[in-house]
Amino acid sequence: MQYQSQAVAKPYFIAAIGLFVGQILFGLIMGLQYVVGDFLFPAIPFNVARMVHTNLLIVWLLFGFMGAAYYMVPEESETELYSPKLAWILFWVFLVAGALTVVGYLMVPYAKLAEMTGNDLLPTMGREFLEQPLITKVGIVVVALAFLFNISMTVLKGRKTSVTMVLLLGLWGLAVFFLFSFYNPSNLVLDKFYWWWVVHLWVEGVWELILGALLAFVLIKVTGVDREVIEKWLYVIIAMTLVTGVIGTGHHYFWIGTPGYWQWWGSIFSAMEPIPFFMMTVFAFNMVNRRRRDHPNKVATLWALGTGVMAFLGAGVWGFLHTLAPVNYYTHGSQITAAHGHMAFYGAYVMVVLTLISYAMPLLRGRQANSNKAQVVEMWGFWLMTVSMVFITLFLTAAGILQVWLQRVSTTPMPFMQAQDQVAIFYWARELTGVVFLIGLIAYVVSFFVRGETKATAT
Amino acid sequence: MSESFTKSTARNIFWGAGVFSFLLFLALTFDTTAALPKRDNRQNLTPEVVRGKHIWEVNNCIGCHTLLGEGAYFAPELGNVYKRRGPDFIKGWMKAMPTGAPGRRQMPQFNLNEQQLTDLVAFLKYASEINTENWPPNIEG
Amino acid sequence: MSAPTLPAINSRPPGDLAIWFVIFAELLTFGIFFLSYGFTRAHNVALFDASQQLLDRRTGAINTVLLITSSYFVVRAVAAVKADDSRAAAHWLFAAMGLGAGFILLKLNEFAHGYAAGITLSTNTFYMFYLSLTVFHFLHVVVGLLVLGIIAQKAWTGGYSAAEHTGVETGATYWHMVDMVWIVLFPLVYVIH
Repeated sequence: MQYQSQAVAKPYFIAAIGLFVGQILFGLIMGLQYVVGDFLFPAIPFNVARMVHTNLLIVWLLFGFMGAAYYMVPEESETELYSPKLAWILFWVFLVAGALTVVGYLMVPYAKLAEMTGNDLLPTMGREFLEQPLITKVGIVVVALAFLFNISMTVLKGRKTSVTMVLLLGLWGLAVFFLFSFYNPSNLVLDKFYWWWVVHLWVEGVWELILGALLAFVLIKVTGVDREVIEKWLYVIIAMTLVTGVIGTGHHYFWIGTPGYWQWWGSIFSAMEPIPFFMMTVFAFNMVNRRRRDHPNKVATLWALGTGVMAFLGAGVWGFLHTLAPVNYYTHGSQITAAHGHMAFYGAYVMVVLTLISYAMPLLRGRQANSNKAQVVEMWGFWLMTVSMVFITLFLTAAGILQVWLQRVSTTPMPFMQAQDQVAIFYWARELTGVVFLIGLIAYVVSFFVRGETKATAT
Repeated sequence: MSESFTKSTARNIFWGAGVFSFLLFLALTFDTTAALPKRDNRQNLTPEVVRGKHIWEVNNCIGCHTLLGEGAYFAPELGNVYKRRGPDFIKGWMKAMPTGAPGRRQMPQFNLNEQQLTDLVAFLKYASEINTENWPPNIEG
Repeated sequence: MSAPTLPAINSRPPGDLAIWFVIFAELLTFGIFFLSYGFTRAHNVALFDASQQLLDRRTGAINTVLLITSSYFVVRAVAAVKADDSRAAAHWLFAAMGLGAGFILLKLNEFAHGYAAGITLSTNTFYMFYLSLTVFHFLHVVVGLLVLGIIAQKAWTGGYSAAEHTGVETGATYWHMVDMVWIVLFPLVYVIH
């Protein structure tokens, strides 16, 4: 690494991967509960396992984004981080707060947790992905603002590159939109309308800017292609992201009480949301083809290319499959949604964070790339996780199609639970595949400990 | 070749298109806000219903169920359960959980008192009367 | 003896390539909107015909002339800058902007009437399309005017030359697209019944 303070990224990456493992363990619990309904009941009811699973996902990705920023920004700005000490403090604050929150979910009945943590002051709990107690939410804001301060001050005192500007815009946007999680009106339609200003404008909005910046950074480093070329394509890609994704929010406004014109506006604009993902894939492959150097970190390049492909498939294609209102009318809130959600999150955000870690971690440990042996193990991790995620998605899609047919399309609609029984085989298949995913994740973690001859010590 | 594809033009387009998109979104939000009173059943947003929504939230019902199609997919859609089952069934159901049937998906006992149950049912009734453009397609949700 | 060389063919479209991504996205969006309009109309002919009657076709025709003429002026502006006459180009651009401003005023008047009559996106499906399409297009005309303004100002101060005028072509391309969309929109929404 070029700047001492980049070292502060390391604990963030380690925490990210640790929480990722936790996320998957709880995912496996849920997957089993789908078919063995009373598994771990009443100790860990499904909804508790779910909030742990989803909250861990979001928190580990945030750790990943922050670690990525701490690694990228000093190097891009050509100056040391404004305050490595602050970064360390925030690390522990975020980790402890996150851990306490998860412990709270597991140890205390949710209603009791709400009472204990001051939910009556300002009720913000009890919405999907935003289950955190008020104090945790406030903590997130504080940590985010302090993090943004640290990073922004670093950029301000150094070189301003397009990569950092896009990254900053994405991260500031993330913080601003999170504020909507504090707005929880009694009017259910308004509640849902603004809830999507956090969720959609995150994952189909500002998070895509973060994704683009991380991907561009890694491509600049591993391919050696001129920064000007990569950065101008980055701007075109994120322009398409906002143009399609902002109005594309409307694809969540079809059936929640908002006016019918959203079925048109939302369908038309969200149908085009795959375009930036398609461009990212072409962009990644193109840059690698046009590379001017053969970087020894092959697996990081693999992650970068894989991110493009899986993000396009999971977010783009699977998203498109159910984004048009006439289709969504039947698939809304079904296993189709779960199928898309898993592959989209994995393909876009899990993979881009793992791409950055794959690139940066060796450098943080004093080498340009890991040994061939270690890279091969990491590649095993890549393929096992990626292929099993594709199959998880396929199985859930099959479950979804059957569920939608039986419960929604059929002229003699089947009740929910009965339809669930009919698709149980797909849930078993998904669970088995989930175990394979875990094996892939274990391989990935193991790769950090594999020795062998390392590639040239890093400068 | 590259002089007629510059980073600065790409950046200007990004900013222009981005700002344009957000402004347009705000305009549509403004229109939606004006149109909501006729659709969102707010005339039935009584203190009972407000309490009911609070009960819905602090017990994390969304953690297993969907409401207007949003939430978790472990248990049935409840946006139209009032129409599907009626108030008495819902109260009875809540009081009877968990079933304890081996291997079947279990719902916790939330120990709600009579008032809380009434409030929750009021909330579910209110939700079922929102104009959701005819969603869900049928009574099963 | 070497073979005779042919004059180089410019395989790049005029203006910055980046604007062509914009054009692609815009035409895709408007195109899908137009197709959606056509599809919906086919299922609601009576409603669409009846609501359409209340639209002001005459002003729409004037608007069409305004936009087409302004596009012509923009063509003259590009020609002028290619002949190294930056000042003349600026004049042509200001003239084009004037006509564009005329379009804006007529449109604002039209929208004001609609608003006063209580027409909104939720009035009926025809008006939903009418308002969506015309307001969306209107906003693009506003952006187009801004773009023309920027390049006109730069041309006025001699910022372009015969050798380097990509910016003018970029802005011109965008304006032509805005014009072209109207040429489809007007007959489709205002006239065809």
